[in-house]
Amino acid sequence: MDLSPFEADNSVSCRLSSQIPDVCKTEDCCLGIDEAGRGPVLGPMVYGICFCPVSKKEDLKNLKVADSKTLSEDERENLFQKLDESSSYVGWALQILSPNTISTSMLQRTKYNLNALSHDTAIGLVQYALDSGVQLKEVYVDTVGPAEKYEEKLSQRFPGITVTVRPKADSLFPIVSAASICAKVARDRVVKGWKFTEDLGEVDTDYGSGYPNDPKTKAWLLKYLDPVFGYPQFVRFSWSTAQTLMDSKAVSINWDDEEEDGEKSARKQKNKSMLSYFSAANGSDDQNHQTHRFFTDRKLKSPCTL
Amino acid sequence: MTAKKKRTPVVDNDSWVVIAADCAINTQVCDSESTFIKLRNPSTDAASLYMLSAGEELYEVKAFEEDFHSWFVGQTVQRDGRLLFVTPMDPLFLILPYLSKSGKEGKFQPVDQIVMDEDFPACPRLMTCTRSLSSLHHIAEEKEVGELKFHRYSQEKTMIWLQKKVERTVVALKNKGISVGEGVKSTTYVRVKLESDYQEEDYLRYAHGLISEYISEDLSKALLKHLQLPELTSPKETEPPSKKRKLSDKPVEAGEDYTKFNSSDFARKPPKKMTAAQKSLAKVDRTGMKPMSSFFSPKAKAENK
Repeated sequence: MDLSPFEADNSVSCRLSSQIPDVCKTEDCCLGIDEAGRGPVLGPMVYGICFCPVSKKEDLKNLKVADSKTLSEDERENLFQKLDESSSYVGWALQILSPNTISTSMLQRTKYNLNALSHDTAIGLVQYALDSGVQLKEVYVDTVGPAEKYEEKLSQRFPGITVTVRPKADSLFPIVSAASICAKVARDRVVKGWKFTEDLGEVDTDYGSGYPNDPKTKAWLLKYLDPVFGYPQFVRFSWSTAQTLMDSKAVSINWDDEEEDGEKSARKQKNKSMLSYFSAANGSDDQNHQTHRFFTDRKLKSPCTL
Repeated sequence: MTAKKKRTPVVDNDSWVVIAADCAINTQVCDSESTFIKLRNPSTDAASLYMLSAGEELYEVKAFEEDFHSWFVGQTVQRDGRLLFVTPMDPLFLILPYLSKSGKEGKFQPVDQIVMDEDFPACPRLMTCTRSLSSLHHIAEEKEVGELKFHRYSQEKTMIWLQKKVERTVVALKNKGISVGEGVKSTTYVRVKLESDYQEEDYLRYAHGLISEYISEDLSKALLKHLQLPELTSPKETEPPSKKRKLSDKPVEAGEDYTKFNSSDFARKPPKKMTAAQKSLAKVDRTGMKPMSSFFSPKAKAENK
């Protein structure tokens, strides 16, 4: 697995893939989808697909691929090695969603949540397999959100392919297990070899599992909190763990799409606060002098102090 | 999801982001430096910030201020996203209120007695500005007695001077392609309408509004009269005419001939039968009751106020 395309720029989404086995272009194939790194506050989320001819399903079973969560890191590496050696009939592709991609998607003006991002990434990978000429007939997916809805969405998107969405699909279908191994191996390698774009000097890489409830991860997050910038791009800013820490320890930053309440926002929306009807002054100060629209349009004011 | 953020109050800065002409901040001219001074704003009557350059030129300070802006300056963060503009200013605008005030006495006076302000000790420096003394004749009559010069405010001269300012502003507005039409509410909203479609009056009114930012309200009204622009009393005038308004004074004539219904063969239909409920309602004593529609008429609205 060559990670160099992602390492060249780890702030974006990146696709890695194996050669497409020739049999996959002629025989009916099945495909499994799984993801790794959905929950951690650190590092990328990796989506993986694995595909092979339907007739080779048994061969895949013989490789003893199993749910990646039940395997140790070494066992996963070994199994990935075996999968890669079986390149005559097994193909894979990965989509690495950098933590920065996740942050910016979830925190942008029109929110793009993690489920939507996951679904779209999965669809993108299936489309990639189709575009590469893989004769897809069956697709197996571990669910994200309600299984029925997801299955319906995928079936509509890919007519003519039998889509099976199941929770725990990675322990039910060997092809999904294989996909989960590819995704997990890629994520482990990326996290281990993460190159910080920020100038942090000697970075303490002892950040634990990366999951929010890991005390090591929490300690690391506290250590690398910059009061102005928050975190390196390695951290998912959209995770509440990161946000809570930034809210309490870093400088407060206000964006114009943040919801506010109270007097100030009411004034901003040109709404009158109920209180203003009862006060004596009635804001006559503001109405005394109306600045010409040339200046108000351009947000220009005459300051009385520097 | 997260606790509500508290805004920390904006503290005074020790640095600013400023756009200024070289000549405004050039310290090579003489030993003294450009200084910010507070002077009385002729339009608001409150304090505003101005700058006197080393070469004794007057500049006004305008600040671009919008919520949710900050600066990254070198390796630091500046929390106010303010952008200050230092632009040349005609000192006559600031001298005018003092002269006009003393003009009520009708006497010729030396300017250093006129341009004084307890609240703004820097005020006399206005008279040392390069163009001040030489341009006073635009707004005042002059008398020379020996070495001494005396001035008296002249409304006529001032109006002529202000009219020239307005005319020059109109030229500038046209050159810069600034949207002046009444319907234009935003500078970024560009009409398909050609520039030439704007009425001259739109330009004049806009320019008058701009100049009014530099003169008192009374003068602004006088200038409006002088420019022969009708005063806009309320925003009502910019609203479309109400439907009820008569379009002409001619007597209203029917567009169709209704007399044919008056012929004998057009028998009036007997009134429709009323339901029991309608009958009982019709019997109700309605003396002193207003019809429902009266509550919605504009007249009733005015009474409410």
